Amino acid sequence: MAMLEIHDLHATVDGKVILNGLNLTIDAGEVHAIMGPNGSGKSTLSYVLTGRHGYEVTGGKIMFDGNDLMQMEPDERAREGVFLAFQYPVEIPGVTSMTFLRTAVNAVREHRGEAPFDPMDFVKHLRKSATDLNISDDMLKRAVNVGFSGGEKKRMEMLQMAALEPRISILDETDSGLDIDALKIVADGVNAMRSSERGILLITHYQRLLEYIEPDHVHVLAQGQIVKSGDKSLALELEEKGYSEFLDNAA
Amino acid sequence: MPDGSTNITPYLAQALEVSPTFAGAGVDWVDALRNAGAQCYTDHGLPVRRDEYWRYTNLNSLRDERFQLASADPLIGLPPLPHPSVSGLASYRIVLVNGRVQPKLCMLDGMPDGVLITDLGGILVAAPERLEPHLGRVVSLKDMPMAALNTAFLQDGMAVFIDEEIVLDKPVHLISITAPGEGAMMVQPRHLVVMDKGAQATLIETHISAAGGSSFNNIVTELQVAENARLNHFVFQGESETSVHLSGTAVALSAGAYYESFVLQGGAAIGRSEIRAYLNGPGADCRLDGVYLATGNQLVDNTTYIEHAAPECRSHQVYKGVLGGQSRGVFQGKTHVTRGAQQTDGRQLSQALLLSPRAEINVRPELEIYADDVKCSHGATAGELDENAVFYLVSRGITRPDARRMLIEAFLSQAISEISLRPVGEGFSTHIQQWLGSHVDQSPDGDPS
Ligand SMILES: Nc1ncnc2c1ncn2[C@@H]1O[C@H](COP(=O)(O)OP(=O)(O)OP(=O)(O)O)[C@@H](O)[C@H]1O
Ligand SMILES: [Mg+2]
Repeated sequence: MAMLEIHDLHATVDGKVILNGLNLTIDAGEVHAIMGPNGSGKSTLSYVLTGRHGYEVTGGKIMFDGNDLMQMEPDERAREGVFLAFQYPVEIPGVTSMTFLRTAVNAVREHRGEAPFDPMDFVKHLRKSATDLNISDDMLKRAVNVGFSGGEKKRMEMLQMAALEPRISILDETDSGLDIDALKIVADGVNAMRSSERGILLITHYQRLLEYIEPDHVHVLAQGQIVKSGDKSLALELEEKGYSEFLDNAA
Repeated sequence: MPDGSTNITPYLAQALEVSPTFAGAGVDWVDALRNAGAQCYTDHGLPVRRDEYWRYTNLNSLRDERFQLASADPLIGLPPLPHPSVSGLASYRIVLVNGRVQPKLCMLDGMPDGVLITDLGGILVAAPERLEPHLGRVVSLKDMPMAALNTAFLQDGMAVFIDEEIVLDKPVHLISITAPGEGAMMVQPRHLVVMDKGAQATLIETHISAAGGSSFNNIVTELQVAENARLNHFVFQGESETSVHLSGTAVALSAGAYYESFVLQGGAAIGRSEIRAYLNGPGADCRLDGVYLATGNQLVDNTTYIEHAAPECRSHQVYKGVLGGQSRGVFQGKTHVTRGAQQTDGRQLSQALLLSPRAEINVRPELEIYADDVKCSHGATAGELDENAVFYLVSRGITRPDARRMLIEAFLSQAISEISLRPVGEGFSTHIQQWLGSHVDQSPDGDPS
């Protein structure tokens, strides 16, 4: 049984059809990359998987560890191990990053039957990941994402991933807007998460990320479907040829 | 059927009947003050919609239900007090039950020389001359019709005098309890704080109800803050859902004086805090902040008027509230800058979170500026919780009700964090958390009832 099985998925936003018969299977231990033109539905897929309000599934099914994902509320999905690194992380004034992280981690721990962290223990628990991601104590004391640079926001997403230890991580353009050093830091963070227990879905526009995080499979999402799949060489091919082939086919 | 005149001015006949038996009756200026209150109230009656500061707060319930002045000295003990971090503070404690000071419940031992904290009724008898230069001098009856009614019933309350340069060692904690019995009950307490030059003090007020009967609490507080004196004032209004709580505060600041006010309103069917601050001397500085929490059919009103009557004064206001159910919030804030008040710095912010589609807020900020060299601003927002923020938290495994509570708390914490006395800030924060715990429910869309 695959960890994540998406079968013939149809989804609409505001009545507009965005996903139109999408199939994708991710096994534990695998890294998949999805590439595709702007507006093709990549972020929509990530929101459907995480259960965002307004993204309506009109057909197909999504099985996660053998359970019907659509039957779960968004917070349940997260506690079961579905994680999304947002393309545009949200600012939360008045809530410190540390408090936010601890509340989230404790929600997940409680779900797993583990004891919650008290504030002191949590600081220790977080220290290594924060250091690896070059996130300062000062950032952790500040309100979530408020006044963070684009790159800082992306690294904060990675810290959340590390702290929550999800089963499947969906990274929506986490590489966009990163400088070269930050890209390496983020890639190291993702590679550290790779394990036979976990799946990773990278959404990206740039082949470059895939040099640092080697995918097992690369897919092209166009017009609401996976129109082509291959190995990492597909990314190089796309780099060269662009997406016109897929758009023409559909026209 | 009541006759025509009582219909226009309910409670007047009661005031005229009982006031001759009150403390200080027969002292000319006291009689004159009460008569002036009665006269002003006769001329004006209960406030109505066309009154400038009563556009959104309707007092028809005071017309329909006849409240009787509370009878003297009900013997009750102190009910459990909210906010352990506040009630546990070492303080000079003065306790009112149904508008009358209860000496047995007060703790006023060890007052330093030059400090007097006592019952107004007592000094009205023992030393009225001490009150004469102050009582009724700050509050403007024509601007505050309910203060006129209070003045007609002026009888008891708290009186505080702090002499020149004295820094009071502990806060004064005024605990006001309404304990209605059988019928609809009314109380008309009157408080006075006189801070002489350079004096410093903290005043905490806790307003609670000990029983659920119908009550009407009409409070007037006069504060005089002389040159370079400082007064920090923290108020919690947590009266029962069957009460009408109207509080009118008038504060006069001399040169270099400082006044900090924070009002947390969480109770009452109708709760109103009206503060009128007069910045009379150069360099006077006042902060008026508040948080309100309402649900069900509650109405919560914060009304401020700030008069910049001297140059180089500062006034900052931040009011934040959360409205659920079919509750209604009112924020009216007027900043008036007189011709000579150059280099005024006046800022005002009102923000409301509407947790239910049936909740409502009426906001009326006003700037009236007659000087040319001023920095004045006001801002007002009202809206729902940011759904993007809710989803962000939920996508990390936090339940939807918890996410909503976290965001509401964060929104309010920006006002609470301004409170300068830590135990008060902690007590108020805990109160907010508990309120959110019982009013932001577990249903998926989290609407409070
Ligand atoms: N709330 C909405 N209302 C209407 N259309 C929407 C809404 N949200 C997304 N869409 C549309 O859905 C389509 C897919 O958007 P999506 O964000 O999934 O694309 P994407 O593949 O992630 O693009 P990009 O590479 O630019 O991030 C776009 O045409 C977008 O305009
Ligand atoms: Mg996208």
